[in-house]
Amino acid sequence: MSTDLVIKIDTPSDIAFARVLTSAAEAMAKRRGIDRRESLRFQLTVEELFVCLTGMAAPGQTIQTVLTGKNALLRVAFSFTAPTLSLGALNAATAMPVCAEGEPPQDLGLLLAGKVADRFHIERKGENHFLIEAEVDRTYPPAPPVHTPQDFRPPYAARSAGDPGQLAYAAALAAAAYPAWHCPQSFQTPAKFTDMVEDGQIACVAAFDAAGQVAGLLSWTPCSDHGLYFSGPFVFTPREDAANVARLLADAFLESVAREKYDIILSLRATPDTPPGYFESLGALELCRDGACCPQQVLFRHLREDAGMAVWRHPALETFLRQTYDRLAMFRDFLPAEPPATRQRSESLLGAAFDRKRNLGELRPLLDGEDMVDNLNRHVCALRQRGIDNILYYMDISQAWEAALADDLAQAGFSPKVVLPHGGRGDMVVWQYDAAY
Amino acid sequence: MMRLIDRVPAYVRAFESYTPSRPDPVLMRQYGVSSLHRLNNNENALGPPPLAREALAAFASERAAVYPNGDAFDLRQTLAVKFGKSPDQFLVGNGSCEVISSVVRAFCEPGDAIVTADKTFAVYEWVARFSGIEPRLIPLREHALDAGAMLAAVTERTKIVFLCNPNNPTGSWWNRQTLERFLAGLAGRAVLVLDEAYCEFIDDPDFPDGMEFLERHANILVFRTFSKMYGLAGLRVGYLCGSQEAVDIVRRTHIAYSVNMPGQIAATAALADDAGHIAATRRMVHEARAYLRDLFDALGIEHVGRAGNYIMARTPVSDTMLYRRLMREGVMVRTMTGFRFPNWIRVTLTRQPAMEAFATALRKVLGAA
Repeated sequence: MSTDLVIKIDTPSDIAFARVLTSAAEAMAKRRGIDRRESLRFQLTVEELFVCLTGMAAPGQTIQTVLTGKNALLRVAFSFTAPTLSLGALNAATAMPVCAEGEPPQDLGLLLAGKVADRFHIERKGENHFLIEAEVDRTYPPAPPVHTPQDFRPPYAARSAGDPGQLAYAAALAAAAYPAWHCPQSFQTPAKFTDMVEDGQIACVAAFDAAGQVAGLLSWTPCSDHGLYFSGPFVFTPREDAANVARLLADAFLESVAREKYDIILSLRATPDTPPGYFESLGALELCRDGACCPQQVLFRHLREDAGMAVWRHPALETFLRQTYDRLAMFRDFLPAEPPATRQRSESLLGAAFDRKRNLGELRPLLDGEDMVDNLNRHVCALRQRGIDNILYYMDISQAWEAALADDLAQAGFSPKVVLPHGGRGDMVVWQYDAAY
Repeated sequence: MMRLIDRVPAYVRAFESYTPSRPDPVLMRQYGVSSLHRLNNNENALGPPPLAREALAAFASERAAVYPNGDAFDLRQTLAVKFGKSPDQFLVGNGSCEVISSVVRAFCEPGDAIVTADKTFAVYEWVARFSGIEPRLIPLREHALDAGAMLAAVTERTKIVFLCNPNNPTGSWWNRQTLERFLAGLAGRAVLVLDEAYCEFIDDPDFPDGMEFLERHANILVFRTFSKMYGLAGLRVGYLCGSQEAVDIVRRTHIAYSVNMPGQIAATAALADDAGHIAATRRMVHEARAYLRDLFDALGIEHVGRAGNYIMARTPVSDTMLYRRLMREGVMVRTMTGFRFPNWIRVTLTRQPAMEAFATALRKVLGAA
C-alpha cells in the first residue's frame, strides 16, 4: 500500500495566508505527478474555500488545513470553528447569480470551488466546530478493449490480488462483461482502480484458475466507520464454473474482512452471480433506463451480532421503519424526530454525485436550511437535465436533524426504499426519487 | 490542534474494540422473548463442582472490602499439588485472556511476529495486532491446525506459536505424535503456547497432556481455565504453567491483584472434588453431541467437532441472519463469520431441554428461511 503525502498547516484566519496554502497544494500535486489541469483545480479549490472560511471563522481562530496526496486524488480538509455556516453556493445545482453590471457575485468563490472540486464532505465536529473536505480526482485513460480468456483450467482459488496489471485487467473484464450498474465507476478507468487499491481506498479479492488466469473479482470499500460496500462477484469463467468461482470469491471476501473493524457489508449493486445463502435482502431499488424499470436487490450481511442501536424516527417514516426492522429481525430503539419548527440557516447544502454510465445520481444532506425542498428540486432538475433517471438520497437516521427532513423529501418527490444498517454513522434510509412524480 | 487519535499508534488506530453481547435481560427485551438458552459461550450448564458452590456460599460479603491475595497464593499451592509441580510454575490471571496478554508483552516487541491458525480462538491475533506484533495466520487443513505450514511460518522474528488444542471452534486436536514432531521441528526457536482450555472434555489417552510435555520442553507454556469444565466463567480465573524460568519472565509483565477473591476461593475448592463433576459434564456433552449430530444429519447440515463442549454446523443461510432468527425463538448461538467461517454457527453442548429448544427453533427458522 502506498504512503499518503500529508501536509498539515495551522494558519490564522487571514486571507493573507491563502498563498501559502495554494503553494503547498501546487507542490503536492507536482510531487504526486498530477496533471496541470487537475493541479489548478485543486489549487483553486483550496484557495476559494480558504478565503470563504476566513470570512466565516470565529475571529482570532486558527484554521487547520490538511492536504493529502494519494495516487488517485488530492484532498484538502479544513478544520475550523464558526458561529454560523452558510455554504449554499457550494451546491452543485447552484446557478450563477445575476448581478448588477461590474459587480462580482457575493459567493463567486464558493461557486467556483463547488464547480471545480469533484466532491465535498462537511461534518459538524462540535457545537461550532466544522470539518470541510474537498477532493479533486486524477484523470485516467478509459479502459482498453479486453478479451475474456477462453481456456480456463480448474481448480480455481481466490485470494488477495496484488499485481496491478492483473487487477486492471480484471476490472476491465468486469466493465466489459457486466452492465454498468454493477461496476464501480473506477472500473471504467482500470488504472484508477489499481491506484485506489494501492491507496487503500478499495480492497479486493480475485479468483484465478490453475494457470494463474484471472477468473473473477470482488471489490469493496468502506461506506462508513462500521460498514463496507461490495461490488460483484464478477465471474469470467464459463457458466458451469461460475457458481463455484462466485462462492470462492464470497468466502475469500468474508474471510478477509471477518476480523476487521466493520460490523456489516452492504451492496446496492451485487451481481446476479452472488451465491445463494450468503447475503440477505434489504429490499429493492427501481432501476430505470429509457423508460423501463426493473428491481435491483440491495443485499447485506452482518459480520458480527447486531447489538441494536437508537435511531431517530420521523412520524412519516414510522410504519416503514417498523415494518423494515421487524422483517429483518433487527432491534432498534426509536427516538422521536419532529419536523423542524425553524431552520438555523436560509440556505441548505446537499452533497451531490452522479455517474452517467450507471445512470445514477446520489444526494446527501450536508447542512439543513429553509430552502431544503427547493434545493432538492433544483438538484433533481439538474440531474434529470443531465439524463440521470435514478436519483437516490441517503438519510442517516442516527442524526436527528437528518431524520427530521422526511417531509421535505416527500414533498420533493422522494419515497423511502430500503434501510442500510450501519450505512452511515448509524442506519441509513435510502430514498429514491419517483420518476413518475 | 492535534486530535487525540493522532497520538495513538497506527496499530491501535487500526484496531476496533470488541463489542460483547448485551446482558440477557436486554437481549430478551430486544428480541421479545421471556427466556434465553445461552448456547454461544461454551459455558457449563451444570455450574461449578459442589465444593466450589459451598465455598462461594460461605463467602462473607464483608470480605469484599479486603484485597485478594495478589498472586493467588492458595490456588497456586493447590495447582502445584494437583499437577506435581512447584507453585512458582503457575501464574493465575483474570481468565486466560489476561495471561495471553502477559505472555505477548513478555516475549514480543513491535516488529515481532506470532504464528497461529487463521481459524482459531481470536484473542491471540487481537492481542498481537493491538500490540504492534504481526500475527502470521496459517490456514487450517481439513478443519485441523496444519503443523507443517505452521512450522514453515516460523521465522527469526517469531517469538510465540499459539496452538489451541483442542481447537476452538473446530474441535480438532493434535495427538501426542503430532505435537512431538512439531516440537522437534520448532527446536526451541519460539515459545509454544498450548492453550488447553477444553482439554478436560477429552478422555483419550492419545491426547497430549501439556503438563507432561512441559517437563521435557522448557519453551512450552500451558494455558488452562476454570471457565469451561469448572463452570466458573463468571469469576474469570485462568492460569498458565511452564518452567520456572519461563513463568518468571511472564510474571514481570503480569498485573498482580487481578484475580478476585471469590474466584480464587472457588477455583481452589473446585480442584478438590472435580472427578464426579468432570464425569457428569462429559456425559452431558456426549449425549448432547450425539443428539445434535443426529439433528444436523437429518437436516442435511454439515457439522464438525469431536472435542470440547461445542459443535460447529454449516448453515444454508447467513449465520448472522440465523442468529437473529434464533434469538427470536429464545436461543442464542455463536456466529462464526468472525472466526472466518462464514455461514457456520457454533453451538454449546449442554442439557437436553436446551438442545431440544435449539432443535425446535432451528427447524422452524430454516423452514421459514
